[in-house]
Amino acid sequence: MKEKTQRYEALVRALHADVYRYAYWLTNNKATAEDIVQETFLRAWRALDSLQDEKAAKSWLITILRRENARRFERKQFDLVDIDDVSVSVSSADCHDNDTEIRQLRRAMAKLEEDYREPLVLQILFGFSGDEIAQQLDLNKNTVMTRLFRARAQLKEALAPSQPERGRQNG
Amino acid sequence: MDELEFRRRIYANPADTDEALVQAANDDKGYDDFWQDVKRLDDKLTRAIDVPVPDDLANKLIWQQSVREFAHKKRKNRWYIGLAASVALTAGVGITAWQQQHVSLGDAALAHMYYAEHETPVGDAPVTAQIANAKLAQFGAEIDPAIGKIASVNYCHLDSIRSLHLIIETAQGRMSVFLVPEKNHPVKNSFSDKAYEGLSYAFNHANVLVVGEKGADIPSFQSILKQSLKFSA
Repeated sequence: MKEKTQRYEALVRALHADVYRYAYWLTNNKATAEDIVQETFLRAWRALDSLQDEKAAKSWLITILRRENARRFERKQFDLVDIDDVSVSVSSADCHDNDTEIRQLRRAMAKLEEDYREPLVLQILFGFSGDEIAQQLDLNKNTVMTRLFRARAQLKEALAPSQPERGRQNG
Repeated sequence: MDELEFRRRIYANPADTDEALVQAANDDKGYDDFWQDVKRLDDKLTRAIDVPVPDDLANKLIWQQSVREFAHKKRKNRWYIGLAASVALTAGVGITAWQQQHVSLGDAALAHMYYAEHETPVGDAPVTAQIANAKLAQFGAEIDPAIGKIASVNYCHLDSIRSLHLIIETAQGRMSVFLVPEKNHPVKNSFSDKAYEGLSYAFNHANVLVVGEKGADIPSFQSILKQSLKFSA
């Protein structure tokens, strides 16, 4: 039991931040993200013995978290996030960050379709390759690459109007 | 590589190190500018995605876990405590019942004999058959006066059961007859101590115990009694 506790604590310390960020971008809501992360780690604890390979811990946790998120929608259909809420939530998320460009980017991220946002977060946050994302999301790699391309193209476009000095439309 | 293909691939993964992409960027500054631009976007994205994590989230997760684990263990313990408590209770009740069972009527009757020695007789006035039968009637019994002189008829408690104690003068000496209106109470067929001995038999709803001095012919008195003592119900 002590060994399991140590293992669990190591897992929490190593991955909680990125798992939380992932949950945040999945739900667009800080409180919901925190709830899901708690639920995720609770399930992780119960199933910790089934985690054989520490390297697989990230994608294992992501799988649990995605399932938890899906459950949330099963439980409450009304819990779909409104874009206005997202803006509020996102702007409050970066109250520590004075960089307007980053704030703007977060708002643009929040407005991305989830199908586009999720692979992008997996790629940037966890450094997953196209193949790994495809496996994690149960998609084929071409679909993943297309979504990544569209995600960046849309973000670039969203940033463009406020940055006319770049003078170039991409995507 | 045409521009659209290049852009698609860079947008999909700005960190791609494929040689064809590198070559294309080397060949055309426009391609390279685009690539650098997307890399800058990714740097910003990395910062944008790194939203602040709630303070102490890690500790909260560990804490929540240990609390739940503790509660779980506690529940488990409670289960054991509950089991232990019921075992203890069962044992207690069992032992008490066993001890109570151990006070057999014979022993109670023998104990009563010593007490009855001082109790009887009060005066020489004989107990008439009517008086005896009036009391016996409460037990649904009736005695034939021919059995002998009834020295006394008194209620007594044998192991908390209200019983009737008759002392009869017979040819075999003084005999005590106890009527215990509870058939299921444990009683040995024969019992004795250093001064007295006795026999018992069940009759209808009652146990009848016959106790006499040691050496007295109790079996023959018992057979006379069986004929003289009748139960109506």
